[in-house]
Amino acid sequence: MGDRGETREITVAVMGQPNVGKSTLFNILTGRNIHVANWPGVTVEKHEGWRLYRGYSIHFVDLPGIYGLSASTLEEVIARNYLLSGKPDVVLVLVDSTIPERTMYLLIEVLELFPKTIIVFTKADLAHAHGVHINPSILSHRLGVPVVMVSSVTGLGFYELLDTIVKVYEGRVGRRDVLRVDYGELEAFIDGVVEAVEGSEVSKQYPVRWVSVRLLEGDSELLEKVRACCGEDVVRKVLGIRDEVIRIFHRRPEELFALKRFNYLNNLLSKAVVRVGRLGIHRFFDKLFLNTLYGPFISLAFLLLVFIIVFTLNTGFPLNIVFESMGLSELACFLEDYSLGSLMEYAIGFLGDLVGSAVPGNQEWLHSLVVDGVIGGVGAVLAFLPLIFLVSLFLAILEDSGIAPRIAVSLHILFKRIGLSGHAVFPIVLSLGCNVPGVIATRATPSFRERLRLITTLAFIPCQARLVVVLAFASAIRGVYGLAIVLLAYLVSFTVFAIINKLLLVYDVRRGYSEEPELLLELPPVHKPLPKVVWWLTWDSTKHFLKKAGSIIFLLSIIVWFLLYYTPALEPASSPSESIGALLASVFSPLLYPLGLDSRQAWMMTFALMVGFIAKEAVIGTLSIISGEEDMATALRGVIGLNDAQIASLTLFTILYVPCLATIAVVYMESRSWKTTLAVIALMMATAYIVSVLAYLISIAFT
Amino acid sequence: MGEYRMFSSVTLDALPTGSRARIINVAAPGRWSYRLLQMGFVPGSIVEVIVNNGAGPVVVRVMGVTVSLGRGIARRILVEPLR
Repeated sequence: MGDRGETREITVAVMGQPNVGKSTLFNILTGRNIHVANWPGVTVEKHEGWRLYRGYSIHFVDLPGIYGLSASTLEEVIARNYLLSGKPDVVLVLVDSTIPERTMYLLIEVLELFPKTIIVFTKADLAHAHGVHINPSILSHRLGVPVVMVSSVTGLGFYELLDTIVKVYEGRVGRRDVLRVDYGELEAFIDGVVEAVEGSEVSKQYPVRWVSVRLLEGDSELLEKVRACCGEDVVRKVLGIRDEVIRIFHRRPEELFALKRFNYLNNLLSKAVVRVGRLGIHRFFDKLFLNTLYGPFISLAFLLLVFIIVFTLNTGFPLNIVFESMGLSELACFLEDYSLGSLMEYAIGFLGDLVGSAVPGNQEWLHSLVVDGVIGGVGAVLAFLPLIFLVSLFLAILEDSGIAPRIAVSLHILFKRIGLSGHAVFPIVLSLGCNVPGVIATRATPSFRERLRLITTLAFIPCQARLVVVLAFASAIRGVYGLAIVLLAYLVSFTVFAIINKLLLVYDVRRGYSEEPELLLELPPVHKPLPKVVWWLTWDSTKHFLKKAGSIIFLLSIIVWFLLYYTPALEPASSPSESIGALLASVFSPLLYPLGLDSRQAWMMTFALMVGFIAKEAVIGTLSIISGEEDMATALRGVIGLNDAQIASLTLFTILYVPCLATIAVVYMESRSWKTTLAVIALMMATAYIVSVLAYLISIAFT
Repeated sequence: MGEYRMFSSVTLDALPTGSRARIINVAAPGRWSYRLLQMGFVPGSIVEVIVNNGAGPVVVRVMGVTVSLGRGIARRILVEPLR
């Protein structure tokens, strides 16, 4: 016990199969006092938390959700290596009370490796509703392992669990030795492998029986270790024993071992679990979303509904356009004025005025720094707050209710060809409104490489802001060609998106990252989402955005402000055309010469496009200022003097050339790599350039 | 492999919606073979087909859990139809 006020630390590893409610319980156990990092050397997240209890500091480590302890996935290898590392004192294995037979498989595998384990039955409140009655004392007695029933909803078993952790740590309850499952006719073969590896490095690092069983199962990681320490001969011997099993039993050893474990489990549970009648299982949602004919339509309709709700609440788009065209202008204006985005804008403006009036009037530059720079930067971040919050909320609801994986499965077939899974649909749909939440939504994609490919290409999906610019440019083109260019712009964007995804997929496959999109997915039962859990997911996501992306957006905003408000001589510029930004524009403007623009035209367009880096809508505003014309048609045709072909190709350029500042910030936030972020910018620039020049040349050839 | 079939068998992707079957074998091990075993797709397990529309994923129920399988994987699972 801790004397002299020392707190002793108990390290507890928390394990469980996917969907058993591990992360909810983890959040409760740690009181949300969580730190997230990566497992060393890999891209898998490691969650750790702490709680003080009865003089102990309990350090909880959340291991990735896994079905067993084989070597087939990185997560399993991380988990079993952690168990063997000597770091954990106690292990919790979570079992879903409503499906104990399936979810307890992991427990058996863990007990064969780590004795100081506690069985935690989650969703205990739901067990009765499913007609399942578990007798924890019988189970505990048969396995020699403490059993605790918990419910994250009602709080049942929470303190009992903490007490049990302490008791196991202090050695008062629990097993002292690992579980030894009798594998019957396979025992002789296990002995054969034990003999082959006895005395070697491998048998010193791992429990001999455990590693022998695994080797017999064909465990790739351990076979490699044996090859490294004992040489090819031993490997051949082990594989020979494996082949013998296959020859005699006509089954691979891993199948036989799995069978034996399930039999052991059924035996165990037959005495400890009673089933009383069966509840009518809700197949409704499965039939609805998963039907091949209309499932995809229902999924898309569902997503469209979410999209409309989220974005209308944010800025009024797209419902405002609908109402406008229906002649209900007042309603459209109401939506816009009272949308969360507008209210936020109003609040920021108010704050800007308030702070601005507090700055001494004679210091122009300070006033500009504070109001335009700092408040402007903060405003740029806060402007996204309502959107990110709403998107996080809906994604959390879809995730926790079990609807999200069903949508992903129903749309999977659409995306397979370009190397994306059904999980890509959320980010894509969201990106049509704004790329920022789209990139954030890629988090739900389980495959890391696919996620990276998505993050890299999502910015090609045209967002609402780009639509505004495209529409404005199109208004400058005569007749039906104006509409055609809008449709073409979208068509080109999606085609580019698909092609580049396909190319990146080929690249990944060549490099050996051949991860196929999700082909084996457990669909948790559809249920009413827990408000508590939804709130945690929403808040975590929003907080993460504000901290990580927010700081980058703020920083970049300040830099851009500086570039636009100061002359190259570092004095306040009287108009943007004299700023450093303007100078940069003149440096880059020759790039637009292939579109047939002269130096003056090129400069004006380049400058507007550079400002578009901050936010695409700014392109319109900037062009208005430079040309002195509010109406885009007059500005582009009259003042700047562009012809149809040039406007068309510039439209294509604008829709493709670069993601806005905030999107770049979240791309960095999600990919955690400068390389990826810069690659996205370079990729988009190159594509936009090639496409627009091609378009120009083609349209010249046809007129 | 040398195992001869004494009973009628078919691959999982060919089973119509609503049917039940017992798993005989998971042929040709691939990336997913360990995961399939861990999820309960072992010889002798009963599976129930919830959705199978001839194209797209096959959705089944095994050991009380609903699982979506790609057709390629479903094609590798040999089953004996029940009833």
